[in-house]
Amino acid sequence: MFEQKKFIVSHAPFWHNGSSVAERNYNIIVAALPAALFGLTQYGAQALAVLCLSVSSAMIWELIANRATKRPETLGDGNAALIGLLFGMLLPAASPWWLVITGTFVAVIVGKQIFGGIGGNPFNPALIGYGILLISWPNRFDFNAALVNFEFGFDTAFPLWVAKYFGTAELDTFTAWNLLSGQQIGGIGSTFGLGLIAGGIYLIVRGFIRWEISLSYLAGIFVTAFLFNIANPDQYAGPFFHMFTGFTLLAAFFLATDDASSPVNFIPMLIYGAGCGMLTILIRNIGVYVEGTAFAIIVMNCANPLLDRIRPKAVGKVV
Amino acid sequence: MAPNKELKLTYGAVVVLLIIGVLGYAVAPANQSEEPIRMVFDVVAGKVLFDHKTHASDAGYALSCMDCHHHPSDDESALVACGDCHNLPVDGTFPQSCADCHEPDEIEDTEMLKRGDAFHIQCINCHQDYGAGPVECNECHYL
Repeated sequence: MFEQKKFIVSHAPFWHNGSSVAERNYNIIVAALPAALFGLTQYGAQALAVLCLSVSSAMIWELIANRATKRPETLGDGNAALIGLLFGMLLPAASPWWLVITGTFVAVIVGKQIFGGIGGNPFNPALIGYGILLISWPNRFDFNAALVNFEFGFDTAFPLWVAKYFGTAELDTFTAWNLLSGQQIGGIGSTFGLGLIAGGIYLIVRGFIRWEISLSYLAGIFVTAFLFNIANPDQYAGPFFHMFTGFTLLAAFFLATDDASSPVNFIPMLIYGAGCGMLTILIRNIGVYVEGTAFAIIVMNCANPLLDRIRPKAVGKVV
Repeated sequence: MAPNKELKLTYGAVVVLLIIGVLGYAVAPANQSEEPIRMVFDVVAGKVLFDHKTHASDAGYALSCMDCHHHPSDDESALVACGDCHNLPVDGTFPQSCADCHEPDEIEDTEMLKRGDAFHIQCINCHQDYGAGPVECNECHYL
């Protein structure tokens, strides 16, 4: 800490380097597009309708909240569009319109605006929308049931469901490459692992997300899944399976890394990421939910204010 | 970019995306084929995911429709869901015997089966006959 370089501040006037909240949000949207576009090619027009309605309705809820609270319009910062896109990417392609609109309402209004808008949200808004809807209409998020009318050239059972209910003996068709290249069912934007990794690397290199959270999240997934796997290889799937299926990669690069709901210092970020990963596997392997990512991150979002108090305390964060 | 111009562009994007979304829901095919691909039976003991296409297609197990379905006219083109014919009386009572609704010459067996029994017998017996496919509860049902 004592070797820390001090900022050297010269006199005004200052030159703004051009970075902005909008730039960050639009870059995350661009990084998420490869996975989203892959979902569109896989599921077709229905997925397009879900994504478009999700993004547009999230932005309309934001506009309504701005007007109702008589605050400046924040549509231009792209955050509502990002929440809508991420929420849409979590949904099955055959989701009904009312589910999309209700979900974006919960995400934008309950998840973000009632806390004061961008930066004030204690939880990831898209995951709040997803989590509340999952509890309210669990059958709508059962990928097996939601996608019965889709036909692909690969095994059309949700991989995490197969692992949970039928053990690892049935997982032969889900090789790491098949999962990474999108040969699995799931959310519209959650199945194409290569696209998500490429987007994540872009965001890390550009500095829009913190690598500490992404890597510690994946490490948490890997280590916990590995321990379960060596304890009982017949019942619990291996670490690579868990890393490349479900919402893992989407969460690692796009959900767990949400600014307001994640810690800002090095050690807290590592604890937060690893905790998200560990809880994800605990819920998947011994919890009631097939996919535990959303709840794992929401729980760790709760721990975020505590983690921020680890010394040196986060500067400027008001909890 | 000037904030005003940025905001106008954003409004434009909202309108375009909303139109595509609404049109998508209005005109996109529901992806419902005449013959089911997969089905989920949502029952008390847990849901069952049934791969209809694999059972019925020539590339799969090549079962004929009448191996599982039955219909008075034995006409494969007129197959309907079980409940379309076996609808319960509106007063909520259960018939005590098949003969309550059917004429004796219409049916072979007068034993009353519930839908769950009919499915269990159909699936498990066939799987046992062929020595393939699940027969235990948790090999089909999931919660």
